[in-house]
Amino acid sequence: MRIFLAGLVLALAAYAAVHAVKVENDFTAFLPNTTSPEERLLVAQLRDGLVARLMLVALEGGEAPALANASRQLAAELAKAPEFAFASNGASFASPALAEALVRNRYALSPRVAPGAFSEEHLRRALDERLDELSSPVALPTRALLPRDPTGELTALYKRLVPGTQPAMREGVWFTADGKSALLIAQTRAPGYDSVAQAAAMARVRSALAAIDPALRPTLSGPGVFAAESHRIIEHDVERLGIAATAGVLLLLGYVYRSLRAIALVAMPVVLGLLAGVLAVQWGFGSVHAITLGFGATLVGEAVDYPNYVLVQTQGEGSGALGSVGHTLGLAVLTTVASALALALSGFQGLAQLGVLTMVGILAAGIATRYLVPWLAAGRVPVAYPLPFAALLQPFGGRLPRIGVVVLALAVLGGLAATDPAWRENDLSAISPIPEALRLQDAALRREMGAPDVSYLVASRGSDEGAALANAEAALPVLEGLKAKGVLAGYESATALLPSPATQRARLDALPARDALEASLRAAQRGLPFKPDTFAPFLSDVEAARTAPLLTRAAYAGTPAAARLDALLVQQDGAWLALTPVAGLRDAAALEAALAGSASRLVDLKRVTAGMLDGYLRESSRQVAYGAGLIGVLLVFGLRSVRRALRVLLPSAAALCLTVGLLAACGVRLGVFHLVALLLVLGIGLNYALFLEAAVSNSARRARAAQALALCVATTALTFGLLAASATPVLRAIGLTVAIGALLSVVLALAWTPAERSFR
Amino acid sequence: MTRALFAAALAFASAAANAAFDEAELMRQLAATTEVQSAYTERKTSPLLAAPLDNSGTLTYRRPNVIEKNVASPRREKLRILADEVVVERNGQERRIAIASQPTLAAFAASLRGVLSGDSAVLRKYFKLRVSGAEEAWSLELVPIDAAVSRYVERVVVEGRGGRVGRIETFEVSGDRTVLELR
Repeated sequence: MRIFLAGLVLALAAYAAVHAVKVENDFTAFLPNTTSPEERLLVAQLRDGLVARLMLVALEGGEAPALANASRQLAAELAKAPEFAFASNGASFASPALAEALVRNRYALSPRVAPGAFSEEHLRRALDERLDELSSPVALPTRALLPRDPTGELTALYKRLVPGTQPAMREGVWFTADGKSALLIAQTRAPGYDSVAQAAAMARVRSALAAIDPALRPTLSGPGVFAAESHRIIEHDVERLGIAATAGVLLLLGYVYRSLRAIALVAMPVVLGLLAGVLAVQWGFGSVHAITLGFGATLVGEAVDYPNYVLVQTQGEGSGALGSVGHTLGLAVLTTVASALALALSGFQGLAQLGVLTMVGILAAGIATRYLVPWLAAGRVPVAYPLPFAALLQPFGGRLPRIGVVVLALAVLGGLAATDPAWRENDLSAISPIPEALRLQDAALRREMGAPDVSYLVASRGSDEGAALANAEAALPVLEGLKAKGVLAGYESATALLPSPATQRARLDALPARDALEASLRAAQRGLPFKPDTFAPFLSDVEAARTAPLLTRAAYAGTPAAARLDALLVQQDGAWLALTPVAGLRDAAALEAALAGSASRLVDLKRVTAGMLDGYLRESSRQVAYGAGLIGVLLVFGLRSVRRALRVLLPSAAALCLTVGLLAACGVRLGVFHLVALLLVLGIGLNYALFLEAAVSNSARRARAAQALALCVATTALTFGLLAASATPVLRAIGLTVAIGALLSVVLALAWTPAERSFR
Repeated sequence: MTRALFAAALAFASAAANAAFDEAELMRQLAATTEVQSAYTERKTSPLLAAPLDNSGTLTYRRPNVIEKNVASPRREKLRILADEVVVERNGQERRIAIASQPTLAAFAASLRGVLSGDSAVLRKYFKLRVSGAEEAWSLELVPIDAAVSRYVERVVVEGRGGRVGRIETFEVSGDRTVLELR
């Protein structure tokens, strides 16, 4: 009855929590609180950057004309779709609004506009060229603008705006070099990290293509696609493994207790802890990250050990036994809370959430185990049947194995110190669950497209937008020179769309007055068959440009270029930054040297990332050390003996060292998520050692401790062993680490448990 | 009643006469021509031009894939249409443009090659075909299918006699017109 009542209350609380908690999906919450401007830039780029919003689309499964046709229709569809800012397949700028903006501002935009550019001689040469083109099939598309643009400014502009390295062209659209797939590039409106919106954008591409030609297959790639895929994979993994683990644990509990009531008793503290933890995070942070929720459930899930321990350990003893067991339980809970403290203090918001969730969850589960479970049991402690292998868990204490373990652990520490950076993971992409094949495919598509990769940016700083643009313009000759030398493949500058005010002014001032231009034009036209007034639109366009206000971002409102400019021209710390993504950079040092002394700097995002992760790892290690110190103090006070405290602490610490050593020896690179797992190992190890230590005095208790331990190890090994089979590197890392760590912990805890007679 | 019957019979008769020279027959006859080498004149008229632009020279076609336009006047220039590129030679300089890079260029190349070789499959990739007239004076109208082409080109009308092409007239959306006549 009591259990039913408690279950009802819990269900209501869970229902309330589901409605109160806001779940977030932004993976950048797992990036550290940034300190340097470069790091802030990196995080901003990862979140909102242009590159993070690009989706690469390859169409396959048809002949070239069918693919090209589908590519054109798809580009038109996507340009209209609310999920995309623009889509391009190389055919043209898909947006008429952008073409209009470029035509209108062509003289402010064209670097060819300079004093003398509209002299009679230059005009004559231009008109001769246009006349030739008139009877050539090659120049058909520019024919319509001929009366407005006889100097061919727009054609030159297009050549500049289209990325320097272009994919192969077939049937008028981009194709892969082998001609098997048509290529498109689309920019999503949603930032790359928004996995839900990115999934919607992907669905839009797929459904649009299915409507155009169901025979064709799309391949989608890009940071946003990866975010959506990771989300899907993690969700799928968590769901599948979660169900398997829950089923496995229930099966185990079913074997041990053979009573639904007992299983409900055991589950109650975990559910309560999880609820309390999630609500605490929601209250403290305003939202709960999806990953926090996933991992938090795993961390708090360990609390299932507590009721198991209490129920098994108090078998056949009166309610008085609960007191001494409760003391051990309290220590186990407090040490786990102390180990999670390092997480709670983390600079990564996501990890800080995880820490708070764990601390509150474990604390709540511990309290529930100590007070709620006995009340619910109402004096009827369920019968626990021993697991078959419980008898194996016998202490094998002795000086020699202990010394051996300590020496081994010290050797591991020494080895790690000696090979320091080699075993650390500093590549962000390594925590991504995206399969290697997909990543390779993305790299290949990126190469074909000449799309910039996320690695290098030239950042030009200025006190205002114009100054930043001017500084970016100053860097262009450097980039152009290095491109000619093959040091880099290409770059994309905001100044191609928005030259600095000074540059625009200089260009517009170079335009001749109407009378002068008309005279030059008349002279240039002499002897040519053009009708005298053919170029009247040209004359009025130039005159309008001379007196027009300077081009600003506003000119691009509602066009695809607006989003591009927003991404390439950003405000940071009260200053403006013009960003120039660099593609195919072969020699970063050469570019860095060439930019030295200018207002532009090369930002190597990979290096910033690595530095950031490294710094985080160092900081966390320090916090873990503080946590360990705190745990030591807790143990000494709780057990009232340094000797007993050491008996608990040493095997746990050694298990931790050996786990790290084992992973490193297997070539696993250790990262942030391993650290989370190691904290979990520490908590588990301390619990095991405490449970055993508390039972040394009495052989009946000892048998039950072995029994309780067997159940704890079995649930842990089962849950995390399953995680180790996950496709997600993060989950696999945690699963493998904890499974190994838990097994080592129990073995070492047994090694440190003294044989009965040696205890006095 | 009799008049209606008579009109119907007349319509049927003329349709039957036309059917004798249809697209398949035209293509068969065009395909039978394996080599053409003839002088041509080309005239471009445009709303932008006070006087038409003329050029002349020789047009060469050899089965299966050689098409060359040798301009002799007003200045020397050579245009070669290869399988996948157009090569323009002028003043000793050579410029190569991939046919696939521009839909209009691809359609232009296909129209010349398809007509000269009698390959209706090539033509149909880019145009809707309509044949009218009789063997001694036929006309083939090509209307672009693809929007990327029809934005610029309205239609192409080819006229000829038997397996010989005599005249190719291109109507552009801009109002420009090009007439190429073979002698």
